Amino acid sequence: MSDTAPEVEKYAASSGSSENSDILDLKDDEGWEDAEPDQEDTQYISLMDDEVFTDINAMLKHCKENHGFDFLEVRQRLGLDFYGNIKLVNYIRFQVHSGQKVSASISKEDFEDEKYLKPVLEDDALLFSLDELPEVLEDGQSAEKGKGVAEPGALVARVSELEEELRKMQLQFDNYRATVSQTLDERWNERSQSGPSKQDGEDKEEKRDDDSHYFTSYSYNDIHETMLKDTIRTDAYRDFIYNHKSLFAGKTVLDVGCGTGILSMFCAKAGAERVIAVDNSAIIDKARENIFNNGFADKITCLRGKVEEVTLPVDKVDIIVSEWMGYCLLYEAMLDSVIWARDKYLKPDGLMVPSHMNMWVAPVTDPDYIADHIAFWRDVYGFDMKAMQAGIHEDAQVLDMPASTLCAEPFPFLQLSLHTTTVKDLVFKRKWQAKLKQDIDALDGFIIWFDSFFMPSREDTVPKDVRAEEWAKAEKKGIAFTTGPDGKVTHWKQGVMLIDNTKAQATSRKEGEELSGELEYAVPEDNSRALNVGLTWKFGEEKEASQTWRMR
Amino acid sequence: MADENMKGMEHSEVHYFNSYNHHGIHEEMLKDEVRTRSYMNAIVQNKHLFKDKIVLDVGCGTSILSMFAVKAGAKHVIGVDMSTIINKAREIVEVNGMSDKITLIQGKMEEVELPFPKVDIIISEWMGYFLLYESMLDTVLYARDKYLAPNGLIFPDKATIFMAGIEDGEYKDEKIGFWDNVYGFDYSPLKHTALTEPLVDTVEIKAVVTDPTAVLTLDLYTCTTADLAFSSPFVLDCRRDDFVHALIAWFDIDFTACHKPIRFSTGPHTKYTHWKQTVFYLREVLTVQQGEQIRGVLENKPNEKNKRDLDVKISYQLQTDDPTRQAEGSCEYKMC
Repeated sequence: MSDTAPEVEKYAASSGSSENSDILDLKDDEGWEDAEPDQEDTQYISLMDDEVFTDINAMLKHCKENHGFDFLEVRQRLGLDFYGNIKLVNYIRFQVHSGQKVSASISKEDFEDEKYLKPVLEDDALLFSLDELPEVLEDGQSAEKGKGVAEPGALVARVSELEEELRKMQLQFDNYRATVSQTLDERWNERSQSGPSKQDGEDKEEKRDDDSHYFTSYSYNDIHETMLKDTIRTDAYRDFIYNHKSLFAGKTVLDVGCGTGILSMFCAKAGAERVIAVDNSAIIDKARENIFNNGFADKITCLRGKVEEVTLPVDKVDIIVSEWMGYCLLYEAMLDSVIWARDKYLKPDGLMVPSHMNMWVAPVTDPDYIADHIAFWRDVYGFDMKAMQAGIHEDAQVLDMPASTLCAEPFPFLQLSLHTTTVKDLVFKRKWQAKLKQDIDALDGFIIWFDSFFMPSREDTVPKDVRAEEWAKAEKKGIAFTTGPDGKVTHWKQGVMLIDNTKAQATSRKEGEELSGELEYAVPEDNSRALNVGLTWKFGEEKEASQTWRMR
Repeated sequence: MADENMKGMEHSEVHYFNSYNHHGIHEEMLKDEVRTRSYMNAIVQNKHLFKDKIVLDVGCGTSILSMFAVKAGAKHVIGVDMSTIINKAREIVEVNGMSDKITLIQGKMEEVELPFPKVDIIISEWMGYFLLYESMLDTVLYARDKYLAPNGLIFPDKATIFMAGIEDGEYKDEKIGFWDNVYGFDYSPLKHTALTEPLVDTVEIKAVVTDPTAVLTLDLYTCTTADLAFSSPFVLDCRRDDFVHALIAWFDIDFTACHKPIRFSTGPHTKYTHWKQTVFYLREVLTVQQGEQIRGVLENKPNEKNKRDLDVKISYQLQTDDPTRQAEGSCEYKMC
């Protein structure tokens, strides 16, 4: 879930134009036009028989005049919401298809079953055009039962708010208006449950809100495109879920931070009975549409809000699936929420997906990077800009380092077992050590990465010092992937902590020299979503050095 | 973000100013040779214009332009920047021995107090993607109206937006078509959003199917913030039989006050700059023949809610006698 760190750069980004020039290679464009939705000949199949119309109103008129069924009157009488409309359509189609009559005195109970959320007809144009029909008026009487009667003033205000919101949304995706109006209903409901929203100005002034930027940053397409196109990441989840369908069959799954809904849909496709997808970002509106368009609306429930605040429709879940990993694994602190959800909702024998994380640290030497990005400031168009060097060593960078920059074998400094890890395990101080495998001119820094393991049973263990690439190669149980320099690059790249060698001349070192120290993860007081990484190191019995880096 | 100055600011504004605190962006800008060298030449090669002048550097960043101005003989330079990068700029100015020549002030142009009532020259690198996205032009115009002496100079003083049509089938498929099938799922709602987000990327010259055409020219001596919301017709002449998947925009910058005018372009026909080009995908694909024209209108206005975002609308019509290829439409985009 990481793409918000500001220091993200391509490794050696200065190579400039050459790496950008290949993006627009020109080839033929066969097939593109086919991918465009064909909007011209929308066909509405009659609710009552097989006749086909190109106009929705003509179709409904046909039903009314020739079959005595006034769809508009029925939906108005029943005061149906978006889901209600969909169920009604599918119920009618189901009845007609199986040769049964549908009477105009139909009641809500007739099509209460969730199964009617599933389209009976493939690509039923009527379902996508429901909002072209006149609005169902809320007149109090039509709210048949179960719902408390809202105050007229509040109702009017709510309706006008909805209308305003709707107008804006329609501009954005007019093709999907039908789904959107439902989205709004749900969102308003959730907002009233989850207390003050992040737009609440007063709240913002009172206390610092580390979260709103975090959630906003996940509301744009780009970041989701990056994550979905990170095949190492997405393939791992897909492969685990599809290779272990028996684990998911008939189960209830919670997806924490669902984003576009991809993991929820994997689970539903693998046979999960029910999936609850939670995200506090606006992207969940898209997730809802995706889920609906792919026919999983009856299986997957989307809830917008923090997992700590939303009300789940179930008490317990069998499986929690989440892609919560950040830069250096713990940047953005999403794991806290996953652990909270586990403690509250996961059954005692439930499964966490993924299940284990092994974290690695290794010393690096990279003279080219230092020359390009640090020595650069010594002479910029004839000016001394060394002042710009200072901060480079204060922040951790996110870079994909070539494996050749590692000057020692990586050291496994921590394993998190997701079934048992607690929030206090996420701030820690661990010893580490390494032995140089080559001569180096200078120790330039350290890199940190993590390996993810997906084990099919909560009894399964993973050795604390096993690397994901070895695990996968040995075809051990489950699925594993690495974000380290030996694997294919992921969007997490690696966390790079550069040692400040600008003040004292760095010493050259010989192969075989040993170094050791401590590695600390801490959460800074001023930003609960940031991360401080501290390292100490010393060669043999020499004086110990230390430095702290921020990820923000 | 913990900075005291940021209190009470809109969230989006805080993010804007903060994004400049990080070194990466300054490194990228300084390493953009087309940009930095053009400014250097425009300033250092025109000592006759800068000698003994009072200069204002709007949005001075690392203060490189201010130092160029001192090198060109300026009597005094005032650098103004909202970002905390100005603390670095102070150190840089100090080690380069120019502290007595350059005054650096952190704050919004609209709020700071300058040590001089009027300045002779305004220098600024204010351009954003698509020229106007997150640009500081409004700030430059404010500074011009308030501080520039009569007959004062502005570096640069002219900006022109160009457009052209490109063949971009493969990449459009990768960026837009991607959403049709994501791991076997239909993700078309995100495709819709993707189409409304202009892409900042490098376009190869061989992809360009039409002649470029200028759609907007801003004269910095006379233009006003009202000119930044505009509606400009354009005509693109097709140079070969091909498909047009997108229209692209870029800009040229002129320093006409120079002894020998200096100009640089951010177009696809010349050297890479960090501004790259801005790609606007069309929903349909135009099939064009050599000699035909695409006529259209480019509309741009700042978003009402967040002034740093831009609402862009492009309407187009392919002028062809072939009834099977006739195409007409309009697309709305949001740069945010």
